[in-house]
Amino acid sequence: MEGGNGEELAVGCVLSLRTTLGDEIEGQIIAYDRPSNILVIHILLALVNPMSLLFLFDVSLSSILFFDRSATQEGSSKAGPRRNIRLLKANYIQDFTYLRKAGDPIDPNKCYIDLAGLQAREEASMRQAEIEAERIGVGVTSEAQSIFDALSKTLPVHWDKTVIVVMNEVRVSSPYLPENVSGGTPAANDRVKKVLDFERKRLQARVPG
Amino acid sequence: MTFANGYSTRRVDTMMGTRTENKTQARKSASPNFVSANGTRVGRPTSPSRDRLIYVLTCLVGHHVEVHVKNGSIISGIFHATNADGDFEIVLKMAQVIKDGSVRERKSDHDNIKKPQPMVIPARELVQVLAKDVSLSSDEFTAGQSCEKQKDLMTDSVISHSHHLDMARELAPWMPDEEDPECPELENIFDGSFDRKWDQFETNEALFGVKSTFNEELYTTKLERGPQMRDIEKLALKIAREIEGEETQDLHLAEERGFSYHDDFDLDEESRYSAVRREVNDTGFRENENSDMEAYGSGIFAGSLGLATSGSCSDSLSKQIGNETQASSTSSSVVEEACLHTLADKGLGLSSVDANNELKSDCIARSPSFDDEIRLDDNQIKDQGGKSERMAIQDSQTSIDVNMSIKLEEVSISAPLYDPSSSSQGNIVTESSDSPVRGKFPAASESVDPPIRQGSSTSSSEYVRAESNRPFLSPSTSCGSLSSEKSTLNPNAKEFKLNPNAKSFTPSSSVRLHAAVPDGSFYQASNVNAVQHMHGLPPGMGVGPSFSHQPVFYNPQAAQIQSPQAYIHPNGPVYGQQMIVGQHPQFYYVQSYPPEMPHKGRKF
Repeated sequence: MEGGNGEELAVGCVLSLRTTLGDEIEGQIIAYDRPSNILVIHILLALVNPMSLLFLFDVSLSSILFFDRSATQEGSSKAGPRRNIRLLKANYIQDFTYLRKAGDPIDPNKCYIDLAGLQAREEASMRQAEIEAERIGVGVTSEAQSIFDALSKTLPVHWDKTVIVVMNEVRVSSPYLPENVSGGTPAANDRVKKVLDFERKRLQARVPG
Repeated sequence: MTFANGYSTRRVDTMMGTRTENKTQARKSASPNFVSANGTRVGRPTSPSRDRLIYVLTCLVGHHVEVHVKNGSIISGIFHATNADGDFEIVLKMAQVIKDGSVRERKSDHDNIKKPQPMVIPARELVQVLAKDVSLSSDEFTAGQSCEKQKDLMTDSVISHSHHLDMARELAPWMPDEEDPECPELENIFDGSFDRKWDQFETNEALFGVKSTFNEELYTTKLERGPQMRDIEKLALKIAREIEGEETQDLHLAEERGFSYHDDFDLDEESRYSAVRREVNDTGFRENENSDMEAYGSGIFAGSLGLATSGSCSDSLSKQIGNETQASSTSSSVVEEACLHTLADKGLGLSSVDANNELKSDCIARSPSFDDEIRLDDNQIKDQGGKSERMAIQDSQTSIDVNMSIKLEEVSISAPLYDPSSSSQGNIVTESSDSPVRGKFPAASESVDPPIRQGSSTSSSEYVRAESNRPFLSPSTSCGSLSSEKSTLNPNAKEFKLNPNAKSFTPSSSVRLHAAVPDGSFYQASNVNAVQHMHGLPPGMGVGPSFSHQPVFYNPQAAQIQSPQAYIHPNGPVYGQQMIVGQHPQFYYVQSYPPEMPHKGRKF
């Protein structure tokens, strides 16, 4: 898609387009910046190419298509609940279809930016992400991670490189078998062994092979 | 703090081809004030379209986004900044490559996991940026931002009182989804019979190796299992049934028993089910006291297997006796009835104890139907006789009541079953001799069935009359009337010797007398044991309805005081009979347990 699209890329237009990645998107244009060639589109309907998501989801290789539908009304300039937004470089648009014209999706009169709020949100997100990052072991197998997650449901656990540390006392090192449980008081040790055993059995039962 | 972009006058029919007038306008309105997300001023000539892009990008700050790049990789992170001056590079924080475009094979996710770190994606690599749940205009903002801002600290009350803070969260009562297969268990959880085979301790030990040190007897009365166990148990069940079948004024008990309460349907859920105590006036207290007594009655008699339980009954009664001693026109309470007619089962022949006690005489009429009830051993009879006596004193004549109470106390105290020495019971103990009283009391425990009870025979008409004449009062109040004028009621108690060194008690709103204790030491061992059996029986009288539940510790220096004469609760009503503490300030309220008494009617 090259330039000179004039009317078609006006704000508010609803397009159905296909990207070079294979995604099919239907959405409304919020903004289009020529110099940078970035199209801001408010997604109404999206068919994501399963091939591009193969690595993201733990699904089999069947072609599963899913829809990504936003909650707002189509073509309405009324500010509703949140939207799904995509910033797409226009040079990756393979082809598109102009569906219809609608009003401006965002009301210019109501566009305010609360910088403090944004910063607060960013901080909150960062905190949350840090907490979640703590839970992920770096350089551990997914099996180890599953064990960690299972243990964390009932016991306080954290990672120490590739060693799971339970209750700050008991250490479970690779390969995370009951024999690898060490440290802590005998009672705590036994308890961790038992829980570990239990969780392993459960995981095996759930994911055979 | 909000920041307005100069969009108000912008024409929005087309974005393309910056029209001259738009340009000028936009520049005028937008450029001087607009600061892009990363702080750099937008120096270039801006177009409305660019402005919009910048605006959208600004809205994304702090948002979780996915960035697709040219080689097919997907990077996920928190949007931090963009270079609005340049080519709109994307700066992400806590970013991770969640899909590596250069790797074709499917790999285990975690083999590639690296620590999240800030990443910069150059504009030429950028394919697209995906963001979910973005709020773009102020409407979406206010709802979203305020929620998000406080998301960390939102408490239930904040949420439910959202009208205060404009949370824009629509609250609807919870309805269960279509019958979740797991949920029905909740409905039926009490339908199944009690599974006696499952032992939680065994299970826990098997699963986790946790050895239990639970000993039931640490927490409740030791049951005396003996040849008479069955009889006692049957009797107890009978009593329990009687009590539970009674009418009650208490809202909660009525609901438990299935009675509809007072035709008063103004009660909302809170008053019906909340555990918050709302009654602060005497009336309320009386009503609740009534239920208290019922609770005690059933609890005590149903489990009439241990001394302590009976002891507790007497204790609580005595405590309640302390209240409202001036309950001159106290009527028999339901509890009293409960106790009385349960006692009547014992087949006790009570003779009139005190000629002055009209009620007593009323009660004498023995119900023949009760004679063939299970016979208990003497101890229990005596025990309960004493109690019933106590409870039976619903006389309008306070002095009589007092007397009776004294005598009752005497009986109960002197009953051989009572381990606690009478000294610890202290308060309403008469100094009259035991034996004659005792002889009379068991007889007097003849209960008169309340007229409301079905199936109970023999209510003497006088009793009924007496009952109807009197305003409804809880036994506590009536018992309260039993508070004795005589302070030294316990013949076995040590004589009170004034201790001039003991600290004067200053009533405060929270009765923490241990603060007043000079050296902070507690009541000494021997007495403590005794008191423990009393289950919080205060030697003193006059416990007001709003008595605080703090245990009050005895000043050892004033240890001679075995039965403090009177305790004037700061918030409680002061009754005539009580000795007003004037010159003798060392009246401490001895209590080793928080009082069970002001237990507002909710028997769990």
